[in-house]
Amino acid sequence: MKVLLKYAGLFQSFFKASLMSELEYRFNIGARIVTDIIWYAAQLSVFEVLFKHTSSLNGWSLSETRVFMGILFVTDALYMLLFSENLDRLGAKVRKGDLDLLLVKPINSQWMLSFQKVSVAYAGNLVIAWAWLLWALFQIPSFDWFQLAWLVVSVPISIVIIYSIRFMTSATALFFTRADAVNYIWYQVYRLGTRPHGFYPIVLRFAVLTLIPIAFLASVPAQIVLGKDGPLILIWGLFVAIGLLKLSTLVWQRGLRAYSSASS
Amino acid sequence: MLGCARLAVLQQLEYRFNLVADTIIQPVIVGLVEITLWLTFFASTGQSELVGFGREFYLAYAIWAAFIARLSASWMYEMQMIEDIETGTVNSILVRPISFFEYYLGQLLGYKALITVISLIAPLVICVALDLPLMVERIPLALALVFYFIVFGHIISLMIASLGFFFSRVHHLTVAKNITLWMLTGEFFPLDLAPEPLRSLLVALPFSSAAFRPVGYLTGRLPIESIYDGFISVTVGILVLAPLATLMWNAGRRRYSGTGA
Amino acid sequence: MTANIETLNLTRTYETYKKPEGLLKSVQGLWARKIEKKIALHPTTLRIDSGQIVGLVGSNGAGKTTLLKVLSGLIHPSAGTAEVLGYKPTSRDPEFLRRISILLGQKNQLWWDLPPADSYDLLARIYEIELPTARERVRELSQLLQCTEQLHIQLRRLSLGERMKMEIIGALLHQPDVLFLDEPTIGLDIIAQTTIRNFLMKYVKERRPTVILTSHYMDDISLLADRLLLMSQGRIVYDGTVNEFAGRSESRQTLSLKILQPPTRDVQILDHFVVAAGSLAIKEELPASAIGDVLQALMAMSAVQEIKIEEVEFEDVIRSFMEKDARLRAPGGAAAARV
Repeated sequence: MKVLLKYAGLFQSFFKASLMSELEYRFNIGARIVTDIIWYAAQLSVFEVLFKHTSSLNGWSLSETRVFMGILFVTDALYMLLFSENLDRLGAKVRKGDLDLLLVKPINSQWMLSFQKVSVAYAGNLVIAWAWLLWALFQIPSFDWFQLAWLVVSVPISIVIIYSIRFMTSATALFFTRADAVNYIWYQVYRLGTRPHGFYPIVLRFAVLTLIPIAFLASVPAQIVLGKDGPLILIWGLFVAIGLLKLSTLVWQRGLRAYSSASS
Repeated sequence: MLGCARLAVLQQLEYRFNLVADTIIQPVIVGLVEITLWLTFFASTGQSELVGFGREFYLAYAIWAAFIARLSASWMYEMQMIEDIETGTVNSILVRPISFFEYYLGQLLGYKALITVISLIAPLVICVALDLPLMVERIPLALALVFYFIVFGHIISLMIASLGFFFSRVHHLTVAKNITLWMLTGEFFPLDLAPEPLRSLLVALPFSSAAFRPVGYLTGRLPIESIYDGFISVTVGILVLAPLATLMWNAGRRRYSGTGA
Repeated sequence: MTANIETLNLTRTYETYKKPEGLLKSVQGLWARKIEKKIALHPTTLRIDSGQIVGLVGSNGAGKTTLLKVLSGLIHPSAGTAEVLGYKPTSRDPEFLRRISILLGQKNQLWWDLPPADSYDLLARIYEIELPTARERVRELSQLLQCTEQLHIQLRRLSLGERMKMEIIGALLHQPDVLFLDEPTIGLDIIAQTTIRNFLMKYVKERRPTVILTSHYMDDISLLADRLLLMSQGRIVYDGTVNEFAGRSESRQTLSLKILQPPTRDVQILDHFVVAAGSLAIKEELPASAIGDVLQALMAMSAVQEIKIEEVEFEDVIRSFMEKDARLRAPGGAAAARV
């Protein structure tokens, strides 16, 4: 309990410090929000164009796909808010030796690396993402609004899963000195999650639910909210989330050992 | 310039894992994911063709677009140019008998030539293996247009980097620009699928030469005239942006030396 | 006295790959790479007592930073053992980490965009120090370092010297028992160097932490340290008190003079001192006790002019020590090293 309080207090301090330093760069805040709006537009453009030529794709209508996108944007904004900056910079921190200063702190290093910086600007994106999601839901007259409550369970599961995968890919920097490429691969994995997994061939569909469970990013939550799938799959999701989180700490421990035996 | 190009090649060979991941693995994954989308599209709608082209054309388009778009995009060197300006490293280049623009253009073209050689084998193999439409004899001209576009893209890079003299953290603009290009180049979908009048506009812009025109041409979707039009449209783009870029660069440098930072 | 730091045959090797030159070899490097084993630290056995201030001196790549990193748990030793404050550093026990501190001269631990005062609040939380206590310590330390005014200015707006002072406060905030200072004055101007030096002197006298200090500036070492470790190519080549080392420098002096009638053949004056035929000027570092005899011998040979006798600087002593050492280690160098 005491430990929990300590880390909660620390997170509060990190949040405050992040906010203070972020307010220094107004241009930055604006740029990030605009960049993400363009990203949203890019994601939407594909389907807006495709649905010009058909009314349904593997059982998904345009309005349902828009709901999927809304859930994707919300989860993405949350992930970006909490983790993006921390995990994107992990590799650079290792290369520049900044990791050293962190490792001599009497704090869980994985925790500190993951939560040190909160990208407050993405709070703006979160608002935009919610606005889009609600608008998309209003386009479905038969939508049962109680279904939305499932997000309370599914979004945390999504975040933990994405965090763990991303953390592990970033942590490869401890094994290879220059592993920017791993970042690219992460983006591609992430990209797999930016489409309903029902669009994929059966093998890939199975893979994104198990091997690389990126379907939990938005696809699974969207299916549940839209009533396309029962909530039972969330039990599996919870299992996956806990497993991956555990795995990420193992990878980190191994990585630290490799790191500390490779440098001089 | 050639020296810079050589430097880039050597630098890249150093990081073999990155090179392979960046130029082969990544576009292959992108291409395959796009292919699944088109397979789903044709399977679930029951259509045998879309705007006059069959499924195979879209599969070939998806795999080539992933590679060609990767080839025409500039991330690394643009970021480096911005960093040079923000950190003041630019000075060490300015004292050399080569312009900043040429210094990086040389490296960029060298790098792009290298990844062309290494990476284009992958879509070739995939096209042959899946028996997708491809006109091998069209590859050189298509690549010529792509490289011409890279020069144009480098002018945009210079413009963005010039802003680094005035603002901090302009690398966000690089990200925003490149995401915008996803839509404008036709990396995501063949531009002629877009509804009018958007369609005509997208095709006419020079950005279509970064993916849509060359890929459409070498997969047989577009005639050779489309490549000629591409050269014209990129030339117009260069003529419009080059003076602007020069202006921005000079203004930036004046401001830079003015503050003595 | 209790030992605070103890190592037994502490060794550190690492692997690098040799970058070949030229295009063809670079292409070959894609599949075949030459892995080289490098020894950063040869087996080192060391005992540092509680409250000792140890100056660690050596050229770049001598293994100083490696030693500090092993002792602070950042890197694992390849062989041998280390114990700091009774802990194994590599276990990175939080209790252990709370009692040590490492300052890396060219790295910031404080937040770039925040005023140092805010960073200290964060550090206080990390090290679980009550906020009022931490603020009181910051106030005291900043007064000693003469940087109270800059506490509320963003770090990135501060000068290099001011930033280093802030980093020092950050490193001392939790009152570590063992302190590793890696180049705390590097790149700073003389005034900042002196302030930091004087501060450290006062601080270690009052709080008596165990300190290992590396520095390029011999003044840092000669003023602060009571024990000197000289490192060269991963080995400790001298271990003794600073005074002893300085004692050698007292006993050695540099003699320079001009000879009016140069000798026509080599003249042996001392064991290692020969005046070559035709020499017009002489500059030689000699034991102080021998200076008189040498002068007499030279004056017997010829009339001399512009006689100068200078104390050898502490820094020069170390340099000549290192040079001698390097020559000894150079292939076939042992014979040439009869200085």
